[in-house]
Amino acid sequence: MLLGPPLLGALLAMVVRPYRRFVGWVNALLSLLSLGAALVLWSHLLAGRVPTSGPGEFLRADALSTLLALCVSVVAGLAAWLGPGMSRDDGYSGAEARRFRIFANLCAFTMLFAVTSNNVGFMWIAIEATTITSALLIPLHVTKASVEASWKYILIGSVGIALAFGGTVLGYFDFVNMAGRQEAALNWTVLMASASHLHPEVIQLAFVFILVGYGTKAGLAPMHTWLPDAHSEAPAALSAVMSGVMLAVALYAVIRWEAVVNASVGTGFTDGLYIALGVLSIGIASFSLVIQRNYKRMLAYSSIEHTGLVCVGLALGPLGTFAAMLHLLNHTLAKSMMFFLAGRVLHRYGTTEIGRVSGLLKVMPWTGGLFAVGILAVIGLPPFGLFISEFALFRAGFAAGRPWLMGLVLALLAVAFVSMIGHLNRMLYGAPTAGVAVGEASRWPLIPLGICMTALLVLGITLPPPLQTLLRQIVEIVGQ
Amino acid sequence: MDSVFSQLSVLGSSLVLIFGLILLWRRGVTAYISAFTWQSVVLSGVTVVVAYFGNDPELYWVAVGLLLLKGLVIPRLLRRMERRFPAERELEPYVNTATSLVVSGLLVLFGYAVTRPLVALSQLPTRAGMPLAMGLVLVSLFVVISRKKALTQVVGFLMLENGLALLAVLGTYGIPLIVELGVFLDVLMGFLVMQIFIYQIHETFESIDVEQLNRLRH
Repeated sequence: MLLGPPLLGALLAMVVRPYRRFVGWVNALLSLLSLGAALVLWSHLLAGRVPTSGPGEFLRADALSTLLALCVSVVAGLAAWLGPGMSRDDGYSGAEARRFRIFANLCAFTMLFAVTSNNVGFMWIAIEATTITSALLIPLHVTKASVEASWKYILIGSVGIALAFGGTVLGYFDFVNMAGRQEAALNWTVLMASASHLHPEVIQLAFVFILVGYGTKAGLAPMHTWLPDAHSEAPAALSAVMSGVMLAVALYAVIRWEAVVNASVGTGFTDGLYIALGVLSIGIASFSLVIQRNYKRMLAYSSIEHTGLVCVGLALGPLGTFAAMLHLLNHTLAKSMMFFLAGRVLHRYGTTEIGRVSGLLKVMPWTGGLFAVGILAVIGLPPFGLFISEFALFRAGFAAGRPWLMGLVLALLAVAFVSMIGHLNRMLYGAPTAGVAVGEASRWPLIPLGICMTALLVLGITLPPPLQTLLRQIVEIVGQ
Repeated sequence: MDSVFSQLSVLGSSLVLIFGLILLWRRGVTAYISAFTWQSVVLSGVTVVVAYFGNDPELYWVAVGLLLLKGLVIPRLLRRMERRFPAERELEPYVNTATSLVVSGLLVLFGYAVTRPLVALSQLPTRAGMPLAMGLVLVSLFVVISRKKALTQVVGFLMLENGLALLAVLGTYGIPLIVELGVFLDVLMGFLVMQIFIYQIHETFESIDVEQLNRLRH
């Protein structure tokens, strides 16, 4: 139920040969089915049951999976409703729209499969597949820049994923040496059950490979070099999917393994690595934000920063993990919304340079307004969700006895804060750039984005109990 | 019997690593493709040896798959690409040949250090080859980072996959077959996408020197 709709969407797009708009509409409706299925899974978990399906518990949706399935289906839905091919003047040809529908759906399918698979081997296969399906969409408009971006993406991404495969093999090796070969040996549940018997050094080595490997896909420094290019050159809907949720799925894979390592050797090892890479990511991202001249790259670096924050959060004990997961959800909502808005800005102004975009509030009042509010949300201002999760993260940090670390992170976030507000100011005010039509194009795409914004507001004011339960279950799974 | 097995696996692994080092020693893409092809053939051979001595019939299928995919299909596609683009030699990589070889020697030693817990833990007669597999992984990583031609980077990536496959075969007599099939599929797909992109690079940039890909900074 969860996995079917994107697959169907892809098939439909493949079959309908000159692209027709109804494909986009069917796609959009199908994505709602996925979202519904994710919500159903959530309700199962609230009742205390962990849904599984398939032979030998092939698919398994515990709290961590469900949170991510929710994120993926929301963003995939947004991409389906707002992506190329829904209206006649969105700047994409029929062939490009068709390609988008096919591969975006395949990407959504592989992401959903990755987060619900019980077998870490299949999880790996699915994540590699997400790289492949999304890579083909980056150069939707073939330009020198997009070709360069897609090459870096596929090369660095594939190398990273290969290293993650190495980690998977090492984990398997550890298990096999303890318990002998079994068909189900790569099942996460099986690995968790025998975690305490795993040889510490081997599983630690495996985790290093896993963190470096999947971390490459998640945008952790120093493996992040592909990210600003890929996320800025990709079409808006794809950037939203990539920044919003693909990074999260890669982090999901790391967290799955983290659970095994923590059960085996305690949290000290993973904590150290998380903090190192997390702080490095936040640092590089914050300083890069200062010199940004391209608003899509700005958003991309912001994603790197938030990924780093999530990692640091994961290293701060149970409170930190709670905060980190909440932050993941908040960031998905905020960043995907921002990229869609950026797409609208790009479509109107024809440039991604901050310097050449001015008077946004006059030219597109609704888009500009949402964009501004979105930036404020992304840098962590109240009353939005990201403020709450960052606050919770700092609280966890002080509770875990790491005041200096929190101080450093706070300082870096302040650098990012100031930079992004500066860039925003340059874009919002001033005379509208010459030759740009004034007035909103079509209003209705703003509706789903407005819903995202409302969700962020809600999360900024309160934490609904079902969400709280879900997040608590995740903390238990990760075992801190 | 065990020691023959052991020696054969170490011999095979050494050959696999040596073919990998050719990427650092020679400069022409043709040599790289041949090295990769032979490396894949030897890798299938090692898999067959493990299948025979380790009594694991599934591995025969894996060996066949390896041979077909990495010994035939991918090299054929690589050679076709290489013919399309004039035989540009890998001139002036970021790190010169002598330094590269020294670095790769260090990397292999590092591989030995890193795999010490693995070798200590394992009971399998094939365990002695694991450091060599890890060495290949590290050397291939170095190739990808330090080389400028897109085709070389692809071959480096493929050798990285070979190194990991070797590690899996030596360490655990392979991974479950169904996962292995998925891995093959992924590698093939990934390679095809890379191929598409190399053609696109060539069309837009008139060369496949990745140093040209420097428009996007900061």
